[in-house]
Amino acid sequence: MSPTATQVEVQLTKGALGPATDWRPKGAGAVVQFEGVVRPTESGRSLRGLTYECYEPMTSRMLGELGADIVEEHGLIALRVEHSIGFVANHAVSFRLYVASAHRKAALAGMDQFIDRMKQTIPLWKVPEWENGDD
Amino acid sequence: MTTITVKLFGPQARLAQKREVLAACASDTPTAGEVLEAVGEACPILAEHLDNSKLAVNHELVTSTDPVRTGDEVAVIGMLGGG
Repeated sequence: MSPTATQVEVQLTKGALGPATDWRPKGAGAVVQFEGVVRPTESGRSLRGLTYECYEPMTSRMLGELGADIVEEHGLIALRVEHSIGFVANHAVSFRLYVASAHRKAALAGMDQFIDRMKQTIPLWKVPEWENGDD
Repeated sequence: MTTITVKLFGPQARLAQKREVLAACASDTPTAGEVLEAVGEACPILAEHLDNSKLAVNHELVTSTDPVRTGDEVAVIGMLGGG
């Protein structure tokens, strides 16, 4: 059975993400949450932060399709992805993924695979904003 | 000859210092591969960064042999890495 829209949630937010919510889908025995935090350095250079760009509506649609694929492949209960757009200062959260399943292993595997595929296929870009305004 | 407006994002837009490139194609009915090649010719600084890029036409990823028509919304989808 194909995942329904209610099983996959996608939210793009301008700027840094706020605190995590108490996301606990009915029937879940495992809920895994991952947060991506902007690092203060990249390749040894100091960063002010990252600017994220998307290409809507393609980005949201593809995130939803990827989420549905992962839900189906791993037999998950639900998945929710939140991602920042625009500037996010270092140490702030720019990406959050929740995965719910009946058991731990499926949730962990689904989470790992979603992130790997997202980085390869989803039109979401990050541009480093260096300290001192360097290019 | 056809000129296609192609959108740029992220590091490629930063590198080109522009958000759009006018890709001049010899054919009246260019393929996505020909449009991508024309992007590199119109903006040489991007040429070496297009190898792993694809085109999106009307918000759908296409293959290099798919046609691009005048009026299509075209974007370079390359150098990904959100998260």
